[in-house]
Amino acid sequence: MNLASRLRRFPFWSYLWFALGVLYFVTPLFATLEFSLSMQRDTLSFKAYERAFSDPKFAQTFGYSVFLAVMTILFSVVLIVPTAYWIRLRLPEARRIVEFITLLPFVIPAIILVFGLIRVYSSPLNVPFTQITLIEPLTNFKFGTNVLIIGGYMVLGLPYMYRSVDTGMRTVDVRTLTEAAQSLGANWYVIIVRVILPNIRAALLSGALLTFAIVVGEVVLASFLGVQAFGPYLFLLGQHRAYEPAALSFTTFLLTWAAMGIIQLVTGGQGQVSGAH
Amino acid sequence: MAHLTLSKVSKHFGDFTAVRDFNLEVERGEFVSFLGPSGCGKTTTLRMIAGFELPSEGYVSIDGVDITNKAPSQRNVGMVFQSYALFPNMTVAQNIGFGLRIRKEPEEAVKKRVDEMLSLIHLEKKGGSYPYQLSGGQQQRVALARALAIRPQVLLLDEPLSALDAKIRVSLRAEIRAIQRELKITAIYVTHDQEEALSISDRIVVMNMGEIDQVGTPFEVYNFPKTAFVANFVGTLNTADAEVEDPQKGLLRMDGVRLVSADENLKDKKKGDKVKFSVRPERFSFASEHKKDNILDCAIENITFLGAVVRIQVKIGNTNFNMDTFNNPFLELPKIGDKSQVTCSKEAVLVLED
Repeated sequence: MNLASRLRRFPFWSYLWFALGVLYFVTPLFATLEFSLSMQRDTLSFKAYERAFSDPKFAQTFGYSVFLAVMTILFSVVLIVPTAYWIRLRLPEARRIVEFITLLPFVIPAIILVFGLIRVYSSPLNVPFTQITLIEPLTNFKFGTNVLIIGGYMVLGLPYMYRSVDTGMRTVDVRTLTEAAQSLGANWYVIIVRVILPNIRAALLSGALLTFAIVVGEVVLASFLGVQAFGPYLFLLGQHRAYEPAALSFTTFLLTWAAMGIIQLVTGGQGQVSGAH
Repeated sequence: MAHLTLSKVSKHFGDFTAVRDFNLEVERGEFVSFLGPSGCGKTTTLRMIAGFELPSEGYVSIDGVDITNKAPSQRNVGMVFQSYALFPNMTVAQNIGFGLRIRKEPEEAVKKRVDEMLSLIHLEKKGGSYPYQLSGGQQQRVALARALAIRPQVLLLDEPLSALDAKIRVSLRAEIRAIQRELKITAIYVTHDQEEALSISDRIVVMNMGEIDQVGTPFEVYNFPKTAFVANFVGTLNTADAEVEDPQKGLLRMDGVRLVSADENLKDKKKGDKVKFSVRPERFSFASEHKKDNILDCAIENITFLGAVVRIQVKIGNTNFNMDTFNNPFLELPKIGDKSQVTCSKEAVLVLED
């Protein structure tokens, strides 16, 4: 093969677009990393990272956000998996309506959601036609606020979680697997926990990690409900410091990549368990 | 008492009737196939036995116990699906042991039963494999073992071979039949493949538009079809219209050609009645070989070589008939356009019910 024909076979345009794509995504990352390492003049150092991590508020707010994220994921799984399963199994006609509902968080801004939550739940829940209070306003105490913010985060994560779970269920023949398990004597609990959940674990993990990312970086709900979460902390830090926010941003990128690595590990790079049919 | 009974079972989906007045009694250890085209209600009937559909009318019982309203998980009925339906997250052994673990059987008993089942399906070394590591045929054998592991009272098979290629289908159906005979388990097998049903069943239930057209042994269904539908659906068949000439003598007239039939149904007819009759292609032969009751002038229209069989299309009167003859390299076949004579016995001419 001569040089001319080799050149003709070289997919120049493919490589060019690939290179442009890589530059587009990597340049800002590299700039953030480089900036986060430039706290000390004329030398690269981890000073910004040390300062950011040594702030007790970092661990406190990050830990709290992780707690909120884990709770949001757990409750989302409990709510969404049976819902998506039942819709696939028995209510396929309701799928369009539910899909529309799950898309609403994309259309309605978080600020509307938080004001709605505050408006409804800042009043006590009374026995009808009396002044007897059943539940104090949820915004007035820590547990109530946690319930509110986790509920709000479940709404924000709904598009990602529902779609991931629904896609996962599409790749396995949910109906036949259910019937096979039923004919072997399994009840609904066993079917969901031992047959359905393990077969959509990759989809579930994708939805969970997206939800985790949203919750950990979320600012609006946390600020307006007055909780000490990581999002507002990062926002405040960005207003007063230069290098530390860059260090923390890059750290969150690393966390995201680690999460993606976990997906690859868990799914064996297949994205979904094979042999579903 | 029959082992499995379906009595006056019907199933309606809104205005559509999928199954109508289905009555069947299956003996213990019997292998019964539901045969019919798509949409005839055979799978719906099977699903009513499994409990996945509730009958709109009638009841289903096993050993005299009414199970009509029992949940599928409470029926002790094993099911094999067309798409295998193995649990992808479990190994072969875990799949087979799933039903036993649900029943909380001791782990040792589960392991023993799983080994028995693996040996039954000749996959002793595949216990640790995942379903995606097996071929389609192996997966379906595992699905069969999984359904049998729970010692079901009735085994249901919903077109289990449809997703497999032709060779594996033939060998696996023999294996299914051998296992069923060995375990003496009552089995209901749904298929649209008449060859499969004929080769595997003790009895065949031929269904058409939600109703039973005929129940009989493969021999009865093939040789003595009761309706034009059964005759057409099971095997290849020649059907034609004729007029009754003499019901007592069994004489029919078709396009001016006279035929004689030994069918008893003809005695109930009157002279001049219009009837539909059938003749299997293999019941015809060339008149020069062995002369029989009917000797018919014909023209050779077409010749198709099918390997072991040669199908010759002949025109008798104005009607085309297929004639099958064994392939014999030393026998000289006629040529297209030749005039010839074919013959068939009067027993081969069957008068069909409407």
